[in-house]
Amino acid sequence: MNETEIHDVVIVGAGPAALSAAIYTTREDIDTVLFEKGVIGGLAAVTDWIDNYPGFPKGIAGLELADGLREQAERFGADIRLGEVTKIINKGEYKQLNTTEGEIKARAVLIATGSDYKKLGIPGEQEYYARGVHYCATCDGAFYRDKKLVVVGGGNSAVQEAMFLTKFASHIDLLVRGPEMRASEILQHELKKQKDKITVHLNITTDQIIGVDGKVVKVIGTNIKSNQQIEFSTDGVFVFIGLLPNTAFLKDSKIELDQIGMVKTNSDLETAVPGVFAAGDVRSGATMQIASATGEGATAALIIRKYLEGKTVEQ
Amino acid sequence: MVKNITVFTTNTCAYCGMVKKWLGAKGFTYEEVNLDQNPDRQQEAFEMSGALSVPVTIITKHDDSREVVIGYNLAKLAPAIA
Repeated sequence: MNETEIHDVVIVGAGPAALSAAIYTTREDIDTVLFEKGVIGGLAAVTDWIDNYPGFPKGIAGLELADGLREQAERFGADIRLGEVTKIINKGEYKQLNTTEGEIKARAVLIATGSDYKKLGIPGEQEYYARGVHYCATCDGAFYRDKKLVVVGGGNSAVQEAMFLTKFASHIDLLVRGPEMRASEILQHELKKQKDKITVHLNITTDQIIGVDGKVVKVIGTNIKSNQQIEFSTDGVFVFIGLLPNTAFLKDSKIELDQIGMVKTNSDLETAVPGVFAAGDVRSGATMQIASATGEGATAALIIRKYLEGKTVEQ
Repeated sequence: MVKNITVFTTNTCAYCGMVKKWLGAKGFTYEEVNLDQNPDRQQEAFEMSGALSVPVTIITKHDDSREVVIGYNLAKLAPAIA
């Protein structure tokens, strides 16, 4: 794919921010191509249940919400391609994007690559990846019917996914590094209802994952308060300890990143490179909420429309 | 040359949907084994992949050699079907 045509906008990513932007741009008849290297729908698609997205009073499965966003964007003509953008080069009048599928050109670019789950970086984690260490409960939970599990993390994702895993696991030890949970009050309330199946351990670092004969058998942690080592026997470990922005492909570009690698923008969501915008979880200052991401995607689309019309972006 | 492809999936696995979509976009047909509907085949998926994870894609070539790809990993899937 080495296209000579210059597209109006190429959106890097196909999560909630990207798909919302595409709904808005395509409805304005703006030629829009999206590139997704992972899952269409982003982390929302791999989240079991989303309870706080407005308009769904009973909540909605993450995969269903993602499918709905994709279907809506495609209905208006969004061209979603599967592949990875490896570089964005500013050619002035247009931007050249190098991708695993070839080069593509665009008048404007929206970076909406979101974020991915952090790794623990401890012994045993990489060795037992997909064979006892997991980052996707909705993918791999079914392999742990009537087994014991450890879930690491104290935020919304950890609690949400631990509760999902109770569908399969006989018992879950939830290891939280801090002195209290970071999850929302409502999730913590739901978690308490599962106290027979989920035991919360506060002030515990997760230090090592131990396996025998190729299978995970225990997690070794440390109680921060007593400084004592503690062991949790388990058949598997699911890790949800926070997010890292997907911006590695921008490292050598002129697009500025903040200290944790998120994309810096001005109030018009424009990056340091004119015509390149950012929205959603990847943007510095993002609230990491799906509702915020879809809102930002829509805002970015309207700003990009103005940019394409040749009007100044700054008010 | 690819002789046949089997994809092990579950109902809630978004990455499984991506593997199916990607194979479809490349013009390949495949047999899907949904482990929620066929839990008795879970052990088979594990024995073939060594992974307690889906998606697992088994690509059998015309010389009956096999390539196993765990997850939605385009860097491995693309050469495996080439």
